[in-house]
Formats: sequence, C-alpha cells, structure tokens
Amino acid sequence: MAQEITMDDKIVESTNGNMMRELKERVKELNCFYQITKVVNDSRLSIDEALQKIVNLMPPAWQFPEITCVRINLEGRKEFKTENYKKTKWTQESDIVVEEKKIGRLEVAYLEEKSHAAEGPFLLEERRLIDAIASLLGKFIEERRIKEELEQQRKRLDYVQKIMKAEEKEIAAISKTPAQKPDWEVILDLLVKTDPRTLLRITRKMTYYLYRIENEKVTALLNRIAPSIDSDSSAVDWRGIHMPNQRQDLADLVTIQKEVFEIAKECIPAEDISNLFANWMKQDKARPLLLQSQKTGIPLVEIAGELNRFFDQPDAELSISPEDQMSIKTALIRRFFTDRLEYVNVAKMFFDVFDFDFLLEHVVGPAQGTGKLGGKSSGVLLAEKIIEEEMKKDDVLKDIAFPKSWYLTSDSILSFIHYNDLDEVSHVKYLDPIEIRQEQPFLEQIFKHSTFPYEIVEGLRRIISDFKDNPIIVRSSSLLEDNFGYAFSGKYKSLFVPNLGTEEERLHALMDAIAEVYASTFSPDPIEYRRERGLLDFNEEMGILIQEVVGTRVGPYFLPTYAGVAFSRNEFRWSPRISREDGMIRIVPGLGTRAVDRMGNDYPILISPKRPNLQVNPLVEERIKYSPRFMDMINLETGIIDTVDAVKFFREHADEFPNLSDIVSIHESGRLTPPNVLFNPKEADIVVTFSNLFEKTDFLEKIKRILALLEEKISTPVDVEFACDGKNLFILQCRPQSQSRDIERKPVPKDIPEDRKLFSTKKYVTTGQIENIEYIVYVIPEEYTNLTKREQMLKIAKIVSELNTKLPKRKFILMGPGRWGSKGDIKLGVPVRYGDINNTSMMLEIAKEKGGYIPELSFGTHFFQDLVESNIRYLPLYPDQGEDLFNEKMLCESQNRLSEVLPAYTNFEDVVRLVRVSDIIPGGTLSVVMDGEANEALAYLKPADHLSWRTQKIEEIAQALDPELYGVQEMYLIGSTKDGSPGPTSDIDLLVHFKGSDEQKDKLMVWFDEWGKKLAKENKERTGFDTEGLLDVHIITDEDIKKKSSWASHITSPYQTVRKISLKKDV
Amino acid sequence: MQVKQELKQEKGTTGVFRKEKEGFNPFKMAQQQFDRIADQLNLDEQTRELLRNPLREYSFSIPIRMDDGTIKVFRGFRVQHNDARGPCKGGIRFHPQETQDTVRALSMWMTWKCSVADIPLGGGKGGIICDPHNLSEREQEKLCRGWVRQIARDIGPVRDVPAPDVMTSGQHMLWIMDEYETIMGGQYPGLITGKPVELGGSRGRTEATGYGIIYILRELLKEMKMDIAKTTTSIQGFGNVARYSAELLLQYGGTVVSVSCWDQVENRTYSYYKKTGIKLDELIKITDRFGTIDKKQAEKLGYENRPGDDWLTQDVDILIPAALEHSITEENVNQIKPRVKIVICGANGPVTPEAEDYLEKKGVIVVPDFLANAGGVVCSYFEQVQSNQNYYWTKEEVLGKLDNKMTDAFYKVWELSKRKKIRVSDAAYMIAISRVAEACKMRGWV
Repeated sequence: MAQEITMDDKIVESTNGNMMRELKERVKELNCFYQITKVVNDSRLSIDEALQKIVNLMPPAWQFPEITCVRINLEGRKEFKTENYKKTKWTQESDIVVEEKKIGRLEVAYLEEKSHAAEGPFLLEERRLIDAIASLLGKFIEERRIKEELEQQRKRLDYVQKIMKAEEKEIAAISKTPAQKPDWEVILDLLVKTDPRTLLRITRKMTYYLYRIENEKVTALLNRIAPSIDSDSSAVDWRGIHMPNQRQDLADLVTIQKEVFEIAKECIPAEDISNLFANWMKQDKARPLLLQSQKTGIPLVEIAGELNRFFDQPDAELSISPEDQMSIKTALIRRFFTDRLEYVNVAKMFFDVFDFDFLLEHVVGPAQGTGKLGGKSSGVLLAEKIIEEEMKKDDVLKDIAFPKSWYLTSDSILSFIHYNDLDEVSHVKYLDPIEIRQEQPFLEQIFKHSTFPYEIVEGLRRIISDFKDNPIIVRSSSLLEDNFGYAFSGKYKSLFVPNLGTEEERLHALMDAIAEVYASTFSPDPIEYRRERGLLDFNEEMGILIQEVVGTRVGPYFLPTYAGVAFSRNEFRWSPRISREDGMIRIVPGLGTRAVDRMGNDYPILISPKRPNLQVNPLVEERIKYSPRFMDMINLETGIIDTVDAVKFFREHADEFPNLSDIVSIHESGRLTPPNVLFNPKEADIVVTFSNLFEKTDFLEKIKRILALLEEKISTPVDVEFACDGKNLFILQCRPQSQSRDIERKPVPKDIPEDRKLFSTKKYVTTGQIENIEYIVYVIPEEYTNLTKREQMLKIAKIVSELNTKLPKRKFILMGPGRWGSKGDIKLGVPVRYGDINNTSMMLEIAKEKGGYIPELSFGTHFFQDLVESNIRYLPLYPDQGEDLFNEKMLCESQNRLSEVLPAYTNFEDVVRLVRVSDIIPGGTLSVVMDGEANEALAYLKPADHLSWRTQKIEEIAQALDPELYGVQEMYLIGSTKDGSPGPTSDIDLLVHFKGSDEQKDKLMVWFDEWGKKLAKENKERTGFDTEGLLDVHIITDEDIKKKSSWASHITSPYQTVRKISLKKDV
Repeated sequence: MQVKQELKQEKGTTGVFRKEKEGFNPFKMAQQQFDRIADQLNLDEQTRELLRNPLREYSFSIPIRMDDGTIKVFRGFRVQHNDARGPCKGGIRFHPQETQDTVRALSMWMTWKCSVADIPLGGGKGGIICDPHNLSEREQEKLCRGWVRQIARDIGPVRDVPAPDVMTSGQHMLWIMDEYETIMGGQYPGLITGKPVELGGSRGRTEATGYGIIYILRELLKEMKMDIAKTTTSIQGFGNVARYSAELLLQYGGTVVSVSCWDQVENRTYSYYKKTGIKLDELIKITDRFGTIDKKQAEKLGYENRPGDDWLTQDVDILIPAALEHSITEENVNQIKPRVKIVICGANGPVTPEAEDYLEKKGVIVVPDFLANAGGVVCSYFEQVQSNQNYYWTKEEVLGKLDNKMTDAFYKVWELSKRKKIRVSDAAYMIAISRVAEACKMRGWV
C-alpha cells in the first residue's frame, strides 16, 4: 500500500476540498499552542529556557514546517531564534506587549517563496496564532516578573506565617490566585480569539461532562436551552402525531460558553480541567480519521491514507477517545467487512482501529473503489482476532498461527470486467441454465485472456514479492458468502498457485487463478443455487482471499504435514453415545483438499474432539480399510498438485517428514501401534491413523477450545479449516457451519397433514434434506426375521443389490430391519455390502420392539465412512418408542412394484416391497427433512406442483386490489408461475400497467410488499422454505410500452407471452 | 415357495401387523445336520442327547465403569459344547445382540472341526453383547478384563482356550491373557491363541489355512491319479487364503488361471484371468493392502478383466471358492464346466446344500469347508502346544507338522468316503462325530 499512500496527499486535496487540510492545520495549531502553554507553566524553566523552547515549538504549527523559522526579539536585549533563522521577505510579525508597553517582537518567516494566501504566503489562522502566541508571551513575561516580586513577598510572608499560622490558608490563597492563570484558561482565551469552532466543540464537551457528573447548574442551564420532555408532560400528546419540538435560539450556545466554564471552574479542580482539555485536544487529532471513516463509500485509497497518517503520529493510539475509537472501528468494519449487525456487534469487540492500518497494507483494489473484502475474508479475520485475544490468556492456544494473507476488494472484479469491456457478463445469471452450462468454459477462457487494470497488477506484484516463492492459494470471498444460511462453500473456486519461476511468470499465474475464480461467479452451479433461493438479483461481487499455503518442503513436494476441517456440530454421528455438540474433525495428511471434499474412494480420518475415545472404526481391519490412502501435495518441480500414494510417500520420505510418528501407525500381528524409534519405514506396514497426534499431543484440545471459543463468540456453530506446517497449527478459514456444504439447515415443515407423513423421529437426527425421492425399498422387518434359511436372507441382500443398480440413482431410499450390512449373524440385518447400496440416497434402520426389547441399531457402522463420503444419509427409526411415527400402512397398501423391476424375485414380494411414491400421491415425491439442531426429522409426501397454490393466491390478490385507488390499468402474470413451473421458492412475477400518480405508485408498492410478505409467510408454513416476500412486481407505464422498454417488452414483444389477470373493475 | 404361502395367509387376516414366527435358527440347523449323521452312525439316544446340546453354558454380568463415569452392565457368555477330546477351543466375539443359538451352533461346529482334524481339542464359543463401535478402547479393555474375572476358573490352557473372533482382535486377546495371568499368578500364554509372535504366537499362521487346503488337494489328486503339475485351477478371492493356496499350488507346478477380488474403487468384484496362468508375485505387487488388484496394471500385465462371477465358469480341473459364503448355489451351479472335478472349500459355506447335491450327481468331489480350511485351527492348536511348553518352532517345523496333520485327516475321511461310497462331507462329519462320541464313551459319560 505504501506507494498509494505517498501519492494520496494530492488526491485528498483534489477530491476532498480544503476542508480536510484546514482541519489538519487547526489541529497543528492547537497542538502547538497547547505545548507552548505547557512550557509557559513549567516553573522549573528559566525565562530564557522557556523562550528558546517556544521558538522551537512553533514551526510545526505553520503550513510548511520545514521552511519555517522563528525569532523572538526582545527589544535589543535578548534574542531567541530557531537554528535555521534567516531574515527573508516572507515574514510576519507580532508585537509582544507588557503592561501596554511594547517590549519586543515575534517573527515567523518562510525561507522560500510560497503561493499567495491571506497575508503574503501566510494564512489568516496563522496571523491569529502568531498574535495569540505573542499575547501569551507578553503575559508570560509579565507573570514571571510578578512572580519574582511575589517570591520576595513570600519570603516575607513565610516569616509572618510562623507567627500567624491560623491565617495561613487564606494568605496562601491570596498569594496564588493572581499569580497563575491555569493553562486551560489560557487555551480558552486563545480559542476565543482564534478558533470559534473548536471552542464550541470544547464547550459542548465540557457541558456534557458536567451534565454527566450531574452538576445541577449545568442541568438547569441545559433545561433552559432544551426543556426536557417530561418536565411538563401534559403538554405533549403521545398518542398521535405531534408537533416538532421548539427550536431554541442557539446564539445562546455561544453565550452559555462563559457560564459553562464558570461552572466548571467552580466545581472542578483546575488541574482536572487542564487534563480534560489536554485529552480533548489530543482526541482532536483523530478527528480527520473519525470524519473520513464515517463517510459511506469512501474510496479505498483515502481511508487507507487517513489511517496511515493517523498512525504515523507518535502515541496515536492513546489519543483516541473510546467513543471515537468505537465509532471509527464500527465504521471501518461496515466499510470493509459487512453491514450485517450480528457481525459488527462481535467484530467491534475484537478489532482495534490499528488493526485496520495493518490490514489495509494488505488490501489491493481499485484506489477509488468502495469494495469490501467479502464473506470468507471477513470470517477468517474475525476468527483470527478472536483467537489471538484468547491466545494471550490460554496457554494451550499460545502457538496457534495464521497464514500470511492478502485481500482483493470485491469491486476489483467489476473494474476487471469494465477494463476488459466484458460488461455483457452481468446478464449471464438470467440466462437459461443450459445456456450457462454451455457458455461457462468459453467465458472462463475469456476471463483468463483478459488483463487486469494497472493499479491491480501493481498490487498483485507486491503480493508476489511478499510471498516470495511460497505456494499460494487463491480463495473466493464473495459478498453472498457472507450471508448466514447460504452454503456457497464449494460453489465458487479456490485455486492453488505453485508460485514458481520468474516474478513475471508468478504474477501471471496468480492473475490467471484470480481470473478463473472470477469466472466461477458466472458458473451454472452458484447461479442455479442463487436462483433457487431467490438471490439472483443480489449484486454479487467477488472478493479474493490470497493466502500462503501452509506447509513444508519434503523431497520435491510442498505440503502441510496434516490438514483438515473441524466442525463444532457433528452431523455424522457414528454412535448414539456421540452427541451433535461433540463436534467432528476430518483430517488427512498433506493438503486439506482431501478432507474438505468428499473423495468417494478415499477416506479422511474422522474423530470427535470431545469424544476422541469413541472411534469411528474401532476394529483394526476397519481402521486399515478406512485410512487415507492418498495425499495431495504441490510438486515444486512441475508446479501441479500431485495425488500420491500415502504409504509409498511415507516409505520414501520417512526421515524428512516432520513428526511422522504423530501421523502413522504400524500394522503388525493384528495390532496398530505408533512407530517406535527402531521402525524401518521401508518394511513396516504403515497405516495413517493420527494415533499419536490425537493421544500424545494437545491437537484435539486445541481444536476443541478453538471450536468452543468461536462458537461462543460468533454465537453460531462454526467450521474451521486448519493445517500444520510441521511446527505450528494454522487456522486457515472459519465460517458458520450452516454455510458448510451439504449441511444447510432447514426446519421441519409443521403443517403436513398426518396422512402425508411417512415417518418422523426425534432421535439421533443429523442435519440434511433429501428431496425428490421416487422410490422406497422396504424390507419388512417381521418378514425378514421370519425367513427360515440363511440363503433366503442372502437373497434379500441380492435383491437390494439389484434394485440398487436398477432404480434411478439417489432417487430411492432403503428402509429395513436392524442392522444393514450385518455379517455372520445376518438375522440382525440384511447382509449387504456398501457396493450393494451405494446408489441410495438414504438408509433407514427400523428397530421394532420384539418381546419387550428394542434391538440395537448399527448406525451404519459396517460402512459408515463410505456413507459419509458419498453423502448417503442415515436415520434410525424406533416406531414403538415415544414420538416416533412410522406409517407402515402407507407402504404396505401401495402397489408392490418389485416384480416389475425384478421379475425373477417375485417369490420375495412379501419380504421386499418396492413402493413408487407417485402411486401413493400422483406426480408427487417424498421429501425427508432432517433438522439436527431441533433433533427432528420428517418424511412426507409432496404433491407435484406449487402452481395451484400460487394460482389461488393470484386470484386473492386480484380480488383485493382496488385498481381505481392505486391507478392500476392492467395486471399480467409472467415468469415461472405463468409458465406453470414454479418451484417451492419461486416468486410470483407480476407486471403492472400503471397509470397513476407517484403517490399512488408508492402506495401500490407498499401494498404489494405487504402481500409479498404475507405470501412468503404462508409459503414457508406450506413448504418450509424461507423467502423474502413472494411477489416480484414490475411497474410499467404507457411510456414504457411506447418505448418497448425493459419489462414492457413482455407485452410488446412477439416472443414473450403474458397472462392477463382480471381485476375487479366495475365495482 | 413354502414361505410365501404361509406369509400370504398371515397377511390376509392381520393386514400390516404380522405375528412373529420362528425364523432362521442356526442352532436348529446344526442339530438337524447332527441328527442326520447320528442316524447314519446309529448313535444311541443318550449320546445324541449329550452331543446335540452344549455341555456347559455360562452367562454372566460384567459391570463396567464407562469413560464418563457412569456404570453400564454388559452380558458375557461362554458356551463349551464338548471337551471330551481336550480343552474347548473357540472364539470370543463382540456382538450387539443376544443370539445364544448362533453361539451354540458355532461351538458345536468347532467340536466337529477340531475332531475332523484330529487335534485334541473340543468346541467352544463365547463373547460379550456389545457393539465396539460404541465403546472406547479403554472401555473395551475393561470389558475384556471383566469377562476374564467372571470366568477365569472355567477357562484356561487345560480347560477352554479362547481366540479372536468377530469384532475382536489380537489386542483383546492380550488383555484377556494379561488379566488371566494376574488372577492366576503365573505365565499362561497357552490361555489364548492368535497372539503376536513376540508374545507366544506361532509362526506360519498366515500361511496355515491356504497351505492346508493345498496339502489336502495334493493328496486328493494323488488319489484321483491326477498330476498336480498338469492341473488348472480357478480361485475365488485374493485374500490370505486364496493367495497362500495359490502360492503352494504354483510351487507344486499347478496352473492357476483365475483369481477374483473386490474392487474398492468400483465397489464390485472382478475376476482376473490369464490363460497361461497367473504369476503371484506380479499380482501381489499391484494389489493394495485391501486386496484390490489394480485393474489397469493387471491389464498391462496381460490379465483379462472379467466379471466377478467369471472364476466359476472357467474350463479348469479345480475350483477353490475362498472368499464368500453361498458362492455356488442352485442357480449358478450348472454353469460349472464339465471338466471340473474338484471343488475344495476354502471359505466357510461357499456351496449351498442344493448345489452340493447337484455336484455330487455330476461326480464332482466337494471337499467340505471344515476339513479343507482346518489348517487355521490346527495352527492354533500348534500355537497352544508351543505356548504350553514355552518352546517355539520354526516356520518350516510348523508347516511340516501341519502337512502331516492335514494329510492324515484327509486320508481318514477319504478312506471312509470311498469305503462307504458317501460324499466327502458326510464322511468328514461321521468321522468327526464318531471320534467325539467315542471319547465320551471312553470317559464313561454315556
């Protein structure tokens, strides 16, 4: 940032006018004056010393301190001057007067010619200042003379005192008062003469101060100016609209100034007032920053410059009052992070103004831009501050680290788009999803071949040189990612940049990556997601978080020793003894990519930080089977990410790999033990287990504390990405867990009629939703138990396996008895393997009571990690217990389609039922909503359309609308409801041909707005989906229709169709 | 199907709600099988009564203080089916549900298995009702120790010898052994089997089952006047048993044209075929630790990648199903090529009774599982012997002794089968049961 800050003075002048500069001059002057009064009041200084000091103090208060020189000339007797003093023609003078006699002259001169101002090159304010100082000098010299006299007097008095002790105080008082005018009064005098605005501010501050310490006189004074409301409450009518309070004559304010300070003098010791003054004056230093920070949309370069200037001053931090501090930092939080109050409220507790000075040194963006840092960056920065705060207190956390990071503001993408004339991309989001899918690869290439504006390139150059040759990761940090409840994670790209080669090559690789992340803003998945949630019209901007990759070099590779992601809520419980609050960690050796994403054919190690003893895979064979097999790492020779066989890698690099014994165990004689010193990596059977990391280090304790801390401070469950470079544990990312992939929370709908519920449960529920289920495979528990032969049970497994390949993928669920995947004792459950069920979307285990006892369910343990990695959801059902509901009748009375799909197994129709959901509810589907937070789940039949409900509501609107009153000519239906394809969250798009006044238009919009909200509420009860108002109303006028502009094209264009809604016109 | 009709009737009257009936019962099945052989052996009623049921059943509570401080009471049990020929031998399993009949059936099966291999051990089985997925390692250790404390007096190197089983491992056995030694005040490595070599385990254990199959096959081929070096074999599976079977078979000069494996990546089974015969070394090199053969590399090495069931339909002399139960059923048995002369069961129960009937009619010799894969239990016996005398053999010694035992066991069965013209599995059962019955008689029990 440094370059931008040095050049910014000019910008300040040009853009911001003289106000700022003036203000700064004022502060300089006051500062100077204050220091002079201090010198003057320092009785330890001799008069000569004092005068010399004053001369040296003065130049900084003038406009051009480096060419300013000062001299005090005491009428031939003595002279005090700055070292650089020279008589020039650009001089201003003021007489020093004592007892109405001129005794000397104060001179200020510029050594060079400067442009013309009020008095030669000097400002009007500088004239006032020089006069004020001269007058002060006069008083000072006079005082000193009196003092000398008094000194003699005191000596005499001392003698008297010994005799007349009783009168001591009085005499002392007399001896003091005339002698010393407190410095605050001196300042006040000066302000009266030179700076009425500062005077007014100080007066206000003093008034508040007095008011706060409940000074009666001030209270009375204020009451006089602004009578408080309750003083005569009968006069005020609270029930309705009332008159504005009376405006008082504020000329009073100036006049009360005297009164206020009189009062102050009476009740506050002089020394305290001086201190107050000193503080207030100091605080005034922060005024420019305060003012700048409050400006909405202040350009990046201005606020950065202001912060920099402010912190360049010595003791800058000490000089901000707590209130100013708060208002500056909240303004900065809003400016750079988010307006969201939840965030601001937390962030303001942890950020200092100073943090922003540091932060902005790492921000790159359009100098005149007003972009934010985006959701991800905001999240990481806040987490970082919260943890840093805790690190001071908590020894366990003391060595937590954070990766070096840079930030690109969210509007950089706009400047990139404008710079390359790519403005047409803004309509991409409104295209047909198929078109988007087709265009995306092309768009990405266009972005990659575009260039960045010069100022951004320069910024990126700084980033490159700062990161040296450390690999970097470019992460998306969009504005929508900041919103609670939306899971954009994984929808936008994050890319590794190996950061190899010459500076120019590295710069281009970085730009390439950024362009690609930018292009992902327009890729089909996030747009589809936004469309579904009604976020399409949000003005999405893409910030970028650029972090160093945490890791260490091993052989030709760069990788973290381990990395992963920790969740404060466990959404995949592998045992009923684990609660959601116990959290979960997914951890892998090498880059965290394999822990963050689900790989399908590889497994991260899962562990609950609060219940580490309850392993997912307690059996040795399972631990081997479900141990990570591959590692991702950056190959520093080729610059790409290699996926490497983990065991092979450890064999080859055992000696270089830091803390290998934390990560692997040795499999020997049916046991897994951490490697001891003697182990031979070339021969040992290495298995990744993290045993020692979990048992011998404080890793789990750290993660546990971090999760608890962040969850408490942010007041929401969080997930945290971490990595280790072989020494420290780094926290890379933090966000609300509700934003994590696949675990977005939706509440269970409450208004589903009983006859549409298939099952509901309140036990062991994790968060997730499965929609559009078309088939249910139901193995009837009793019938299964009744099978008399082992072969028959194996046959059931075979049927399930074949259905798994025949039924549409992820459009069916499995329901069956006891423990799916039993081996050996297969009476307990159908003996399927994971491959036999891998296309289901959900697996349910039904525990029906048998002879007074409930069988224990498996929780999917036989292939738990396979389920997790494929996102197959698991749910246990206890139909004979408590509140669990299972509408078995629904499944048994519907037609069994098994023989149609698998004619060979007609024999088993009574054991296995294949139910097609649309047989039960024509055109409908089954939805399962699981809300882990509330611990409830419901599966219910969903009718096919959202159309009829919407059609009915449009009728209601048409009936309620008074076209006369609101100036409505016609109303048309457009969009998805007109097309007959509304989803559960689709807006009802209305086109209103409007012919009324502006006032009518406003009223109409309010009216529609209320309807929209009402419908959204109804829709939420109906579907469980949250939307912001369900009406999307577009107003068109005759003019629009004539011009065929925007929405009017719906009516005028031959390619579009609308449906006219009949209004109640002839009433 | 019979089942179907019965169910239909049920539903007609009660709709959704069904009455619970006696479903599959493994113990009943084991008893039926015993009865059939007992008939053939003409056993007297008392002997039948004695052998149809376990001699002793222990069932007891194991209170455990859990990690969170609460107390939970678990159920432990041990079934000793018969120890007339020697101490009981059998696994300890962790199992989530009380299935006493399964355990009874398994303990009976162990009696016959030890007997057919002619080792001086009886049959037992036991366990704890629990799901280790819900237990920490420390809790599992407490459970193991708690189990021993309740039953220490009734097990031991000369009473009843536990071994790892479903969901238990060598680690559990070591805790059990340690607790037992603490109670008894001495070193008793012979209490359990399945120990690591450092703590009194036997060498040659990984090879034992696979080699045992081939020892028997070798002798069987001699009897059938077939040159082992000229035979071709297809093996189902590529786990321990399959691999060591193949290893020894190849050493003897035989040809193995096909093996199969579970593909972890694609979640399905594949057979790998090479007309000229597989080379074990090159296949093991491209097999991961989970037993999945790398498909691409295998193809590079000239192996044909075929569907999982393909091993069964090869034109070979010998089939070794060594992976899954019920692999040869009445549905696919007719796909077996006429050339096949021998099916030797490496896995447990790979041939259904119906399929076995069919094969018998076709003149195929089926060597039953409890004879063919007895190499494992024989090696456990060797482990116990070595532990008891605190003297340990080399691998060659172990495998040599194993060869003798298996060969002997086979000839006893084969001789009877030839003489009585009965199928091999029946002969094996008859020998096993009669040996136990004899021992009971000699002891004067019946």
